[in-house]
Order: sequence, then structure tokens, then C-alpha cells
Amino acid sequence: MDDLYARFLPQFVALARTRLATAITAATRPEAASTSTMVRELHTLAGEAGLLGLTGVVPLARECELKAKRWQAGQLEEGADGLVSALHELAQIIEQITVPG
Amino acid sequence: MATANTDRFIVRAEIRSSGESVVSYGFDLTATSIFVVTEWNAAIGTQVELRLSFPKILDPVEVIARVADIRVAGEPGEQAGIKLVFDEAAGDVGARLVSLLERAHTPTPPDAPEGRPCRVLLVDDSWLIRDMFAYGTAKFFDRPWALAVDHAEDAEHAWGKLESSSYDLVIVDYFLPTEDGASLIARLRQDRRLSSTPIVAISVGGRDAREATLSAGADLFVDKPLVFRDLFNTLRILAERRGQARPAAERKAILVFDDSPFALALTRAALESAGFTVAIAADLSSFERQRVTFDPDLILVDVQMPEAFGDDVALTLRGWHGVQVPILLVSSLDQHELARRAQRAQVSGYVCKGAGMPELVRRCRELLEASP
Repeated sequence: MDDLYARFLPQFVALARTRLATAITAATRPEAASTSTMVRELHTLAGEAGLLGLTGVVPLARECELKAKRWQAGQLEEGADGLVSALHELAQIIEQITVPG
Repeated sequence: MATANTDRFIVRAEIRSSGESVVSYGFDLTATSIFVVTEWNAAIGTQVELRLSFPKILDPVEVIARVADIRVAGEPGEQAGIKLVFDEAAGDVGARLVSLLERAHTPTPPDAPEGRPCRVLLVDDSWLIRDMFAYGTAKFFDRPWALAVDHAEDAEHAWGKLESSSYDLVIVDYFLPTEDGASLIARLRQDRRLSSTPIVAISVGGRDAREATLSAGADLFVDKPLVFRDLFNTLRILAERRGQARPAAERKAILVFDDSPFALALTRAALESAGFTVAIAADLSSFERQRVTFDPDLILVDVQMPEAFGDDVALTLRGWHGVQVPILLVSSLDQHELARRAQRAQVSGYVCKGAGMPELVRRCRELLEASP
């Protein structure tokens, strides 16, 4: 499996960056990207991280997804700021992933 | 002179003699001789080094042989070539060839179990050639279901099919619209997953097409018009060999349905490295097509997808289509929610994506070992 992870990790990081960029755009400029797209991107990111065994990423990605859902439903107490903050935290963790070679 | 018989099949034949090298194909193989299709101008009695092979059927055998006869092109289907007789010292080679021939001549018992079909992708823009394959499957195979021929009319369609499914053999015409067959073969050989797929190139293009496709990586080049009897006998052996030589675990086929191309690629790579045959689908139409043509032993379905929820798909497969093979829900939903959906959908189980790929592979193996 190590060989597999080494092969797929760079692709995961690149994809995660794109997904997070979409999510942050939707949270900060709702007119530019749909919130349902944001929720789906975060859900997919969590799943992809899970399959790769990135245990440090999965809980935060899930938390971001749940916050996005609450925000979409108008039920996120801390509002967009809380969501954006969580998304930036997730982005930082993604950037800390060491891509082999 | 070699004469046609009903059990001809083709093998790759590489001839070396006095610094000359010829790559072609041969048939009328016996324990002591073979007919090789070639325009090589050799004198009777010329000694050659001969290497015979065919992926998954005949591991390479090398033998010294002599040109025993020369044939010029005659009636349709009678190609120009040479009959080569093996050196008498080639004892063990003869034994291996006899074993291959015995297998080729042994009819499949009518009550033989129905394994997975030998899957062939034919890349050819001629509808007539496709129809000939369909007809040939029915005519030359005692058990027509043992061969499943899929079609693609150009390189791009072929690539789409190759990316989403697994084939035992790819047959590629050299002359294709937009991108020629040699280019497609080169792409296949460069792809990590597909590089070992056996490839037969076919064409009316003669020497140029042969050189282009063989140098691109084709295992074999066969001239058109095709002698279908030879080709189908080879496919028949390939289909039977496929069923006999591979351990049971390797024959298990898994269809993975997920809207994330990344998750599909990763899952496929992990399952294939564990010995399974894998097809993937990223949308409903592709999934339905693969389910019918690929005939999986196990289906993995993501839950949250844009077109449908995976548990609804599973429920429909069970309740409406009567699908009996195991189905696993695979999702990043939390465990309680996933368990609830799995129970409602009457599937065989579920795997949280967060459990990682080793757990997913373990569950697949467990389910497939438990299924008949």
C-alpha cells in the first residue's frame, strides 16, 4: 500500500487544494459558487482523504462539511466567519502533508 | 507443405538468421513444425533461430529450425510464408508445444462451469468487421458466452473503455479515424495499469502497418483480410487458459461506482494490486452498462452522488433487478448513518472510507471468499 499512497498522494493534495478553493469561494462570495457544490466538494475531500488513510485530515474535513451544511441551512451560529476559519485550518493541514519525491 | 485444419491458431514468431530479423506470426503449429507468414526471402534449408510466444497462452520458447518449404500467396486466406521444421534436439520445446496443442484440441466439456468470459476489446471503425466478430463468436465457440467482445470505433472511445474496464486482449486496427492504431498501442504500453495487456494489431496496411504497430508495442500483427478461424481458435485457447491458469481469487471481478474519479482510480489500483479484476463507473449510465457487460462478483457503491444515492441504487438492484452478488456501501458518512442506510438497502455491508484502503480490500476479500 505504501507504493500506492506515494503514487496517489500528490494527486490528492492538488485536488484538495482545488476543492478547498471552491469551498472558500462559496463561503466568502456566495454569488460566485453554489453552497451545495461546496458541501459536495468537502464531502468528497473527506472520502478521498479517508481512503488514503489521512487520519489527520478526515475529522476536520468532516467538520467543515457539517459546518457547510449548517451554514447552508442558516443554522451555523458563528456564521460564515466560522466556516471560513475552519476551511483555512483544513487548508493548512493539507499544505503540511509531505508529498514524497 | 502445411495444410489447413480446423484447429489452427496463431502465435507470434520471431525469426533470426544471418543478422536478419523478422517478426511475424505463425500457425499450423505442431510439435515439430510451424508455418510462418512472411515475405522474407529465404532458401530452403536455411537454418534460423525461432522464438514463438503468445501472451497468456505460450511463454516464449526458442528453437533452432530450418526452412522446409516456401509458399507464395495464393487463394484468399493463403498468405505467403515459410514452413519451418524444428531441430530434432528441441525435445523439451516439442513437449511444451504438444501440451499446448493437446489443450487446443481438447473440446470443453458441455457441463463445464460458467466462469467469467474472456473479454476482448476490438478497436475498429468497420461495422462489418465487428459483425464478423459477433458471427465468429457464435460460430467458432462451443460456448459463445466464453468470449465477450466489446467495440470501440476510434482511439478515444477505446481509451474510455480501457480506463473504465479490464480486458484480456485488445485487437487494434491500424487505420483508425483521428488517431492511428500504433499511437493507441503506444499509449497502452505507457500506461502503468494497462501496459501488460496483450495486443493484436490488424490491418490491410501490410509492411508499414506491421512495423508501426509492432514497434509501438503490439504483441502480434495479423494482416487483413483476417482468417477468422485462426484468430478465433487463438481466442478460444486464451479463454480456456484464462479459466484454468488463474487462481480463483484473481478471477473475482469487482465493479466500483463512485462519482469521484480520484476515489475510483485509487480503489481500482488497490484492488487490482490485491489480485482482483476491476471495472469502474462514475455515473449511472456507465454503471448500468458495466454491470451488464462486466458481470461483477461484487459491487461497491458510494452513497452520496449527484445523480442518485448509492443505497437507493443498491435497493433497486436487489429489489427490481434481482441482483444477488454482494453489494458494499462505501462512504465517508458517519458510521451510524452508513449502517442505517446499509440495513435499509439490504446490502451485504458497508465500509467507512475513513477506515482506509486496507480495510476496504479486506472486506472485499472476505465477502468474495464467502460467496459461491
